Amino acid sequence: MAAPEESKGTMKKELGATAATLAAVGSVASNVHAQGSGKIKVGLLGCGGRGNGAVRQCLNADPGVEVIAVADLFEGKARSAAERLAKDGKYKDRVNIPSDNIFSGFDCHEKLAKCDADLLLMATAPAFRGRQMLPAVKAGKHIFTEKPVGTDVVGCREVIEASKIAEEKGLAIVAGTQRRHEFSRVELMKRIHDGQMGELVGGQCYWYGRGIWFRGTDDKMTELEWQCHNWYHFNWLCGDQICEQHIHNIDIMNWCFNGPPKTFTSVGGRNCRDYSKQAKEVCKKYNDGSETGWEKYNGDIWDHMFCEFEYPNGARCLSFSGHGPGNGRGGEKVVGTKGTSNCSNSISGENSWRYSGKHVNGQQQEHIDLIQSIRAGKPLNEGRRVAESTLTAIGGRIACYTGRTISWDWLLNKSKLDLVPRDLKPGKGVFHPIATGRDTLV
Amino acid sequence: MAEKKGLKRRDFLKRSAVTAGGLAIASSGVPMAWAAVGETLRVGVVGCGGRGSGAARDCVKSSPGVKITALADAFGDRMNNLKGQFKVPDNRCFVGLDAYKELMALDDVDMVILATPPGFRPQQLAEAIKQGKHVFMEKPVAVCPTGINMVMEASKLADEKKLGIVAGTQRRHQPAYVETMKRIHDGAIGDIMSAQCYWNQGGLWVKKRQPSQSDVEYQIRNWLYFNWLSGDHICEQHVHNIDVINWAFNAMPDSVHGLGGRQWRKGPEFGNIYDHFGVEFFYPNDIRTISMCRQIDGTSHRVGERVVGTKGWSNCAGVIEGENAWRYSGPNPNPYEQEHTDLIKSIRAGEPLNEGQRIAESTLTAIMARESAYTRQQFKRSWFMSKCGLDLLPPEGLKLKDAKPADPAPVPGKYQLAGVASTAGSKKKKRGKK
Repeated sequence: MAAPEESKGTMKKELGATAATLAAVGSVASNVHAQGSGKIKVGLLGCGGRGNGAVRQCLNADPGVEVIAVADLFEGKARSAAERLAKDGKYKDRVNIPSDNIFSGFDCHEKLAKCDADLLLMATAPAFRGRQMLPAVKAGKHIFTEKPVGTDVVGCREVIEASKIAEEKGLAIVAGTQRRHEFSRVELMKRIHDGQMGELVGGQCYWYGRGIWFRGTDDKMTELEWQCHNWYHFNWLCGDQICEQHIHNIDIMNWCFNGPPKTFTSVGGRNCRDYSKQAKEVCKKYNDGSETGWEKYNGDIWDHMFCEFEYPNGARCLSFSGHGPGNGRGGEKVVGTKGTSNCSNSISGENSWRYSGKHVNGQQQEHIDLIQSIRAGKPLNEGRRVAESTLTAIGGRIACYTGRTISWDWLLNKSKLDLVPRDLKPGKGVFHPIATGRDTLV
Repeated sequence: MAEKKGLKRRDFLKRSAVTAGGLAIASSGVPMAWAAVGETLRVGVVGCGGRGSGAARDCVKSSPGVKITALADAFGDRMNNLKGQFKVPDNRCFVGLDAYKELMALDDVDMVILATPPGFRPQQLAEAIKQGKHVFMEKPVAVCPTGINMVMEASKLADEKKLGIVAGTQRRHQPAYVETMKRIHDGAIGDIMSAQCYWNQGGLWVKKRQPSQSDVEYQIRNWLYFNWLSGDHICEQHVHNIDVINWAFNAMPDSVHGLGGRQWRKGPEFGNIYDHFGVEFFYPNDIRTISMCRQIDGTSHRVGERVVGTKGWSNCAGVIEGENAWRYSGPNPNPYEQEHTDLIKSIRAGEPLNEGQRIAESTLTAIMARESAYTRQQFKRSWFMSKCGLDLLPPEGLKLKDAKPADPAPVPGKYQLAGVASTAGSKKKKRGKK
């Protein structure tokens, strides 16, 4: 570790060999980077709050990590992320981003995929994840991806495909559903899966909180760029709150049941999400000072969803999410024939248990686990799993928007929902009407 | 078919009237003893719309010696069908918002069917019990906690006066449900760990406003859509399923947290009610259950209940799966008749059923859920019944011609629930700072 030396591994079969041997062999036709103890070159895609957090957590995870490239839709954001990283004394000598490796624009991910990074951190708005991940994996990059990994069914299928390719190529995909990397939950889930709670017969998960930020525009941004900047307010960009935020809790339910639900029945709506003041300001910018038609700038996501997930064993679980006034709710609970659990660190019932081991920060630990798995030549691949959890959230949302009970099978194999336009260029925004609760199934 | 049935019923009535005639006179002076076996049970109908008419027919069909002898409704045009069918003389047909009082003042009415919009129920029930009438009343039985208290008091009084009260939650009189519940209470599915209930369907009838109609007349004719009259659809309709879950637990939830809104129903013809609710009920021992209801055309339907225990699960209506798997295979009488059969039998046996407290509790459960969804506030039942001052009862002296602009549909954050500011509101502020 002391003298990080680049070592590029190759195929899984060579895993038994020492790092030194691998380095020599791997340099020839490598598509699997960074096995062994050498340097891991990292590129950051998406330089917002989460991207800036993730890149630091990645740097903290392993002394061999070196950041060599950054990319963002906005050039200014990419530059300032690079500058701030370079200035940070904590990561001295481990941030080497040449100006050629600062990418921007709607195609920045394509440019980034061509650079010399071993590992890409994906933290743009969720809409683009699938189309970013596929070429990256094809180009042989390991992936850390923020959750969720899509906003529509087509996007989730792309991630599932990327995950298959990663499997074949021996590449890692780790997702920012950090609860999966908390020791307490890992230990708990072992016990649940061992049957210590009996058969699971019910469960609940919640994320109901206050409102969210609303970002205004400036003189430079086109309407579409503003939308991407203010992405949380648009379903095609964020997947609605159930997908963007509540996926953490939904992922826990799927973890308990070891897979996604089989049917979705939901109600929900939007009756108090109001950013009219800010929306009118944005409207004026793009409409010659007129407030007419401001509503579309107010966003289209809902403010409450109440979904029932029926798992394959017949257990019906609640997902309760939204933003607005009233009581906040968070967390999960699962109920079995022999006890209940908070899904965090304890079981009460016949086999009562409380975790007493070490606690770790999941957002840090996920990067440690990722890099250790790469170095060990046993790359973690969470791609399919996080795509399924994302799709679970999307299924709940579709059931809300359409008022129809839908099945996992239909969702995964039949739905044609494709919300994200290809070849986006700066210009007009992409707006959809607010869902009615009886939209057509796509 | 309908005519044939009608003829049969009339024949049957004649016969029973003949046999019961002599006895009725003998007992008329002793109020506690009316309607003993063989006597004619004289029934007045309050609220002669679709449900009242159905209930009147079911009541007559259900038992021998039952006669509809008086009618009351806010509107004369609504009672024509029943008046013709049961040959009720003009001087026993009462019209107007206070018509129920005139009907209940009649000494020769033994029992009343209460089927006006639910907002009127508490006052009408109180009056009926005060006047010594047995009661069949449609669900729900109130739309606010103030009304719930009135219903609970009236049913206590009914106990003292040995008066019967049966409510139109007909599942309680359906053998498939009754037999299933016995087994659930005997432990056939073990301890209950989870439950769900649903009433998801399309839209319902809507009455267009006529230019001549006052606010009050229009709202009463289109009553489904006004909270003070219907209690919103979670109370008006979904109370059936909520009642079943309360039944399974033999308890009411300790607390509630709901979501809801008006996503499809936008026009003024839909008054101020929501079109969907999703509610979590917390039963004793933190058993959390799902309640979901929706009225939006073109969406998936689901009506029913499900209870899950440590040893199996049940649909509450004739099916138990698991360690003690079982199927109900007995008779399935029409539950809308059976509820009258059971009531009248109990009256004649001198041990009148009294479901007043129970239906008040189920209605209360639905009302709490609604108010939780309107505010998105989680609250305890104890708080709701002691601190919430919500009073939607029809104002004293309400006239059909009155102006009464509809409240706007509740918007969480703007809607003010009486009593919230003093208690739950302070919690809200603390959480907001986080």
